[in-house]
Amino acid sequence: MFKELYNYRQLLKSNVSKEIRGKYKGSFLGVLWSFVNPLLMTLVYAIVFPFILKSTQPHYVTFIVIAILPWTWFTSVISQGTNTIVVNGGIIKKVYFPREILPISIVTSGLINFLISCLIIAIFLIFSGIGFSWYVIFLPLIVLTQYILQLGLVFITSSIDVYIRDAEYIINFIVSMVFYGTPILYSSDLFPAKISWLLNLNPLTTIIESYRNIFYYQTMPNMTALGIVFAVSCLILWIGYKIFKKLEKGFAEEL
Amino acid sequence: MEKKEKNEYAIIVDNVSKRFKIYYDKPNTLKERLVFWNKTKLNYHQVLENINLKIKKGESVALIGVNGSGKSTLLKLMTKIIYPTTGKIITNGKLTSLLELGAGFHPDFTGRENIYFNASIFGLTAAEIDERVQDIIDFSELGEFIDSPVRTYSSGMYMRLAFSVAINVDAEILLIDEILAVGDQHFQDKCFAKLKELKESDKTIVIVSHSLGPVQELCDRGVWIYEGKVREDGKIKKVVEDYLKVCG
Repeated sequence: MFKELYNYRQLLKSNVSKEIRGKYKGSFLGVLWSFVNPLLMTLVYAIVFPFILKSTQPHYVTFIVIAILPWTWFTSVISQGTNTIVVNGGIIKKVYFPREILPISIVTSGLINFLISCLIIAIFLIFSGIGFSWYVIFLPLIVLTQYILQLGLVFITSSIDVYIRDAEYIINFIVSMVFYGTPILYSSDLFPAKISWLLNLNPLTTIIESYRNIFYYQTMPNMTALGIVFAVSCLILWIGYKIFKKLEKGFAEEL
Repeated sequence: MEKKEKNEYAIIVDNVSKRFKIYYDKPNTLKERLVFWNKTKLNYHQVLENINLKIKKGESVALIGVNGSGKSTLLKLMTKIIYPTTGKIITNGKLTSLLELGAGFHPDFTGRENIYFNASIFGLTAAEIDERVQDIIDFSELGEFIDSPVRTYSSGMYMRLAFSVAINVDAEILLIDEILAVGDQHFQDKCFAKLKELKESDKTIVIVSHSLGPVQELCDRGVWIYEGKVREDGKIKKVVEDYLKVCG
């Protein structure tokens, strides 16, 4: 598998850049939208939440920016990834290339967007006076975990979407539900203790908390939890790849 | 034995059958899948039945037959776009398919950008494309238009560019489906000459075509597919002759 992907590395590269450039083609701000969008979202929450919920979290804007940017990576990858096979149906029916390239380029272009948007986090950290700590060295590990988890999920959703087109809508609904089941707008200790196990079932909880640990609280991430999530993500990737490989044989006929 | 066989042959089609599902109402949504569960009218269409074919390296083979006989399906199976229902296909060497020209061209990108994108679909690296890009542009005769977006091209220019990319990727196996009719007479002659040149340089070529004249000139071996089975396999002259007796 790796050998073939290596042979097709140029396709992967040009697909990733097509994904980044092509998405906002024709819009005035272009690629900037991938940063303006989460910022606008942050702005809305930053106005609404302290006002209505009387949130007492210090540096609330920075607090949510740190969570919203990785979340944006997650949602954009899931929503674009799910229909990537269907959208590229024309080319799948005509040319052979390793199909895994399509989901991989969606997750990778999202990664590049996210890494750039880490600059936004840095700006907020500086201006809020929180600053940086050496715990930032854990960033690659957290990013890698999120990458693996997302790739696994997209392998599953993109191949299922070919056979059942509803998948797209169902998944979008689930994603918007998960938004509230992930400590993005609130911190996880605000969650009712009775059902906090539910929150911990969500692997994104640990991932978001870890980002917050290294940037906002400036502490060590919970390595046990992160280790478990990393292992679970690898498992999801492995299962997802198997499912994808199985369903891939019917792509050209079903599209 | 196994090893030797692998090296000698470019394509081995081993007892391959292919059938397509034909739905009358294809259940694409969850609701339809649940409501019409087990009720969807489903027929199978047997396109290919127990095909055995061994194509040696350097051979040029024409697949001939009437419409709907399964030639194009066989070609698609060889490219791994679709997979056989039973049996297996082994290909040995870098493979390019010219099934549909210009698949994956992006209309907003320039001709030059599309060369890079299209060639990368065939598995070339940036450095390899850099080497070939001038040859491709020269062959396509697009001149200064190469830096205009592809959407501004005429259909002839589009096909010329697509053909030039596909033919210049240096594949060892070429699979070609009825595309000897690209562009004007001048360009057609040029394509034909290029194919002959590739044949001389020991590439394996498999062509599906109804233009029996040119095909006889290009290929040594003919395979006549009739209703999903190999009806005759041998020297091209003989196969075309017999084919014309029945279907001419």
